Amino acid sequence: MNKGGLHSGVLLSNAFRQAWMAVLAFRLRSFFVILAVSLGIAALAVIVASMEGADRKIDELVSNFGPDAVFVSGGSVISRAVGQRSKSITWRDVNTMRDSLPGVYITAPMSFKGQSQVVYENHNFQVNRVMGSTENYAQIWNWPLDIGRDISTEDLARGADVCLVGEAVERELFGEGNAIGKTVLISRVPFTIIGKLSARGSSGGGDSMDETVIIPLSTMIQRFNQDRQYLRMVRLKFLDAQNMDMHADNIRTLLRYLHGLDENTPDDFTIITALDIQRFISMIKGGMFIFLGITAFAAVCVSGFVLANLFYISVSERCVEVGLKKALGAPRASITAQFLCEAVLLTLGGSLAGVLWGALFSLALTNTLFSIELSWTVFLYSVAAAVLIGVVFGLKPAHRAAGLEPISALKGTGDNG
Amino acid sequence: MNPAPVVRLRALTRSFKQAGNTVQVLKGISFDIFPGEFVAIQGTSGSGKSTLLQIIGLLDRPSSGSYELAGRNVAHLDDDALSALRADTTGFVFQNFYLVAYATALENVFLPGFYSNKIQKNARERAEFLLKNVGLGDRKDFLPARLSGGQQQRVALARALFNEPALILADEPTGQLDSATSSDILDLLTKFNRQGQTIILVTHDAHTASYAKRRILISDGLIEKDELRASS
Repeated sequence: MNKGGLHSGVLLSNAFRQAWMAVLAFRLRSFFVILAVSLGIAALAVIVASMEGADRKIDELVSNFGPDAVFVSGGSVISRAVGQRSKSITWRDVNTMRDSLPGVYITAPMSFKGQSQVVYENHNFQVNRVMGSTENYAQIWNWPLDIGRDISTEDLARGADVCLVGEAVERELFGEGNAIGKTVLISRVPFTIIGKLSARGSSGGGDSMDETVIIPLSTMIQRFNQDRQYLRMVRLKFLDAQNMDMHADNIRTLLRYLHGLDENTPDDFTIITALDIQRFISMIKGGMFIFLGITAFAAVCVSGFVLANLFYISVSERCVEVGLKKALGAPRASITAQFLCEAVLLTLGGSLAGVLWGALFSLALTNTLFSIELSWTVFLYSVAAAVLIGVVFGLKPAHRAAGLEPISALKGTGDNG
Repeated sequence: MNPAPVVRLRALTRSFKQAGNTVQVLKGISFDIFPGEFVAIQGTSGSGKSTLLQIIGLLDRPSSGSYELAGRNVAHLDDDALSALRADTTGFVFQNFYLVAYATALENVFLPGFYSNKIQKNARERAEFLLKNVGLGDRKDFLPARLSGGQQQRVALARALFNEPALILADEPTGQLDSATSSDILDLLTKFNRQGQTIILVTHDAHTASYAKRRILISDGLIEKDELRASS
């Protein structure tokens, strides 16, 4: 025998149909709920997107830096500013590291000078830095050449006046033309361009990596009269990228021994690995997560309370509707489901609007430290959050509606019958 | 005689607590209503007729006595079971029409279908047919605000019929209408009854009650008269 109860699927789809009608009917309420929820969701979308952006930035920086690479520079980065760091890495250190460190396959000392004028005919471009490098720059830096050849052992031995240019340098001085074989003046010294590096974009610090010129290290020391005993920094690469912390410890032990430092003296050099970069970005990411997380949480709560309030008012105004539906035989679950469906429909609308807000916001934030891109993850999080807001904050008003007594609910609007 | 009554009341009472005092509104009502009957429950304001209708319509529960609706004793049914029984067996018509303001006439008519399994196919067609049946075939997409009082009540009549209820309960259905419109509505009820529909009409008005074939006069919570009229 039919006990008369509605199948729950039927109940839900009927509730959904009625909710849809109500959403369209109460336009002003719909508008405000969607607006409030969209702001909360926008905050959420931005936080998820920037977390993903941070992860991408970590991957990019680590792969640019080289997951198997270690940087050793003179002086302590922690206690001294740039330019005031003591010069402590010598050619002897470099040679010893190359010969004694286990697993090292590249030991590349380098030097650089800061902003320099590069001139070709009547074109003039100021680059961020000129780098003095040993042979095979592209391999050392995981930075492939677009065209031309790399610095060779012979260039280094001769102190040849040759250079590699970054993408921006070629563009500024030659337009789209081929720069290979042309002669440019770098701080008034003529150099022949032998290769062009592929475009790489901005570094973590914000300046363009493509505004770079690379010359042989020996040429750098001779032509620009740099220190012949000490080196600014050394880049090392190891075969075994899994144990970079161990390699860093080995370098530290060796350099402290070579520099004759006793136990109480701090390092007079700094070692940076890809792991350090990863830790640094993760730290920033953690900070952003807390800051944006609190913001998003507050925004989501506010939008939830707006929803709850508007629905409370709505239930009061629609007393008669609820009473009537109960008189027509609507079970509690049906009334609850209708109001919850209304809430979730509106919060879903809010989540769509919120993702759009988030997209606008992230457009405004491009070219900052992390690039923010909206993704499916962002979208899914937004939808999940919207449903959650709708259910959590819509539940109380929906229960209140479902609990109304049909007789008094029908009398709720000045009915004198 | 019909074998099974639609409504079977025995020694039904209903009392309310009011400011510490117990007020007995219904003091022992017993009657049967059989399929096809058109019954007017007539009484003055405060006689208990509305309370009686609410109990018959499962919107209220008796304090004592027994009530069977369509053969089922309702005493031990929980709220959801009462809702389901209400959806399947009763159709309400109210004094104030009570249409959903944001739904069209047609949508209002098939509203009861949301709560019952009885009409599952061609709900829309059935709603359109019922609207035509009350003379509003050309108004099906109108919102209630654009309909006159009489038209709204006719939508409510069509709605009451939607789930093919065993019983229509009309509570002062003409209380808000002028006399010409009132007789239209009462004529429609009469027409439904001729087609076999069981109807209970609650009213204070003797003229309205005269449309029914049987009149139960309630006074001070008791049945004063229960009489059949000469059929018209």
